[in-house]
Amino acid sequence: MIEQSCAQMAPLEEILGRYPREEASLIQVLQDVHRAYNYLPCDVLAKVSQNLGVPLAKVFSVSTFYKAFSLTPQGKIIVRVCTGTACHIRGATQLIDEARRLLEIAPGETTPDMGFTLKTVNCVGACAMAPVLIVGEKVHGNTKPAKVAKALGVEEKHHAH
Amino acid sequence: MITLTVNGKTVRAREGSPLLEAVRAAGVEIPTLCQHEALEPWGGCRLCLVDVTRPEWNGWAKMVVSCMYPAEEGLIVETHTERVVETRRVVLDLLLARCPETPLIQRLAREHGIEKTSYLPNPEPTDCILCGLCTRVCDHIGVFAISSVNRGAGREIAPPFHEAPPDCIGCLACAEVCPTSCIPYETSDARRTIWGKAFEMVRCPKCGKAHITKAQADFYAGRNGVPRSYFETCDACKRQEMARTFSKLSAGAVGGMETGKQGNRETGRP
Repeated sequence: MIEQSCAQMAPLEEILGRYPREEASLIQVLQDVHRAYNYLPCDVLAKVSQNLGVPLAKVFSVSTFYKAFSLTPQGKIIVRVCTGTACHIRGATQLIDEARRLLEIAPGETTPDMGFTLKTVNCVGACAMAPVLIVGEKVHGNTKPAKVAKALGVEEKHHAH
Repeated sequence: MITLTVNGKTVRAREGSPLLEAVRAAGVEIPTLCQHEALEPWGGCRLCLVDVTRPEWNGWAKMVVSCMYPAEEGLIVETHTERVVETRRVVLDLLLARCPETPLIQRLAREHGIEKTSYLPNPEPTDCILCGLCTRVCDHIGVFAISSVNRGAGREIAPPFHEAPPDCIGCLACAEVCPTSCIPYETSDARRTIWGKAFEMVRCPKCGKAHITKAQADFYAGRNGVPRSYFETCDACKRQEMARTFSKLSAGAVGGMETGKQGNRETGRP
């Protein structure tokens, strides 16, 4: 357990070295932590609080305020389905249903193998390409439910089950 | 000092002081929920709204929160114009939708002619109005144990990770300052619990009253560099002790006036 948490702290040491030890660095540090760990682990947040001299309650407040931060472990690939008005009208619900069926998880959940996290987002600002599905960093516009499996790259894997 | 007008009455105020002070000095009652004289104004509850204008604004007026707006020379303040009263009513209507079962909100709403909220009442009634007094008083003391977490409709006041807050000293300031008394705690001579954290109590060495937590005594002593024993003694006993010291000093001063003067010149002390 101790070994594990030491290993867990290694990327943090490097991140903290990049920024001045002050309150103003908090969000940048949290963003880098999120990138390195794919979420904000609570013991890492405690260390951030200590290092920057920001009370833990404040760190938690900021961490929960921004939707970009997650406090629970997330899958390697984050799948976002836009549910903005345009996407909703052009079939976002069907995309969500298809993603749910393929990944066997509900929006906000992560697959047990930590492969995917499924999320719905309010609007990605790409209404002209509605409905929009974002897999990791790749944006898939004008998507249809039939294209979701390929976009996720899960078809074969789930057929093997 | 500057002069301004509140509902037609001329009042004097300190320049830059919150308008709310001038309004109250004029004897006008306006409701507030997030204001506390010991804390910086916050402008959270929006109930202290007033209309302000100036003669040169040609009849144009703006609505401001009086707890944060600085008093200025010649300002004309109206506290109960139609739109101010209506806006205040909307705020209370919304608060009542959030807290349909909270006596304080029910009373304020009723005073503004609202018996039932016109919005959908909160299916999970809460007494917390998110006035921020608890977190602000905690920050002001320098403890920073609780904060506002999440955002939008899901916003709430909570300790980090919704667990017993490591920084809390159990002073109960948050619970005391809460206008709707919605922060639960238990306290006895032996133990105190708040935010899911248990505290050991310290007894006053003179009267035996358990008046402070061990964590509080440690925190104050650590911060002020004053011996811990000072904080362990309860306020009533401290006052008695001080009264005794003063009476001793004054008795001594009458008898030892001459020598006292001499001592003053040399050491700066009596």
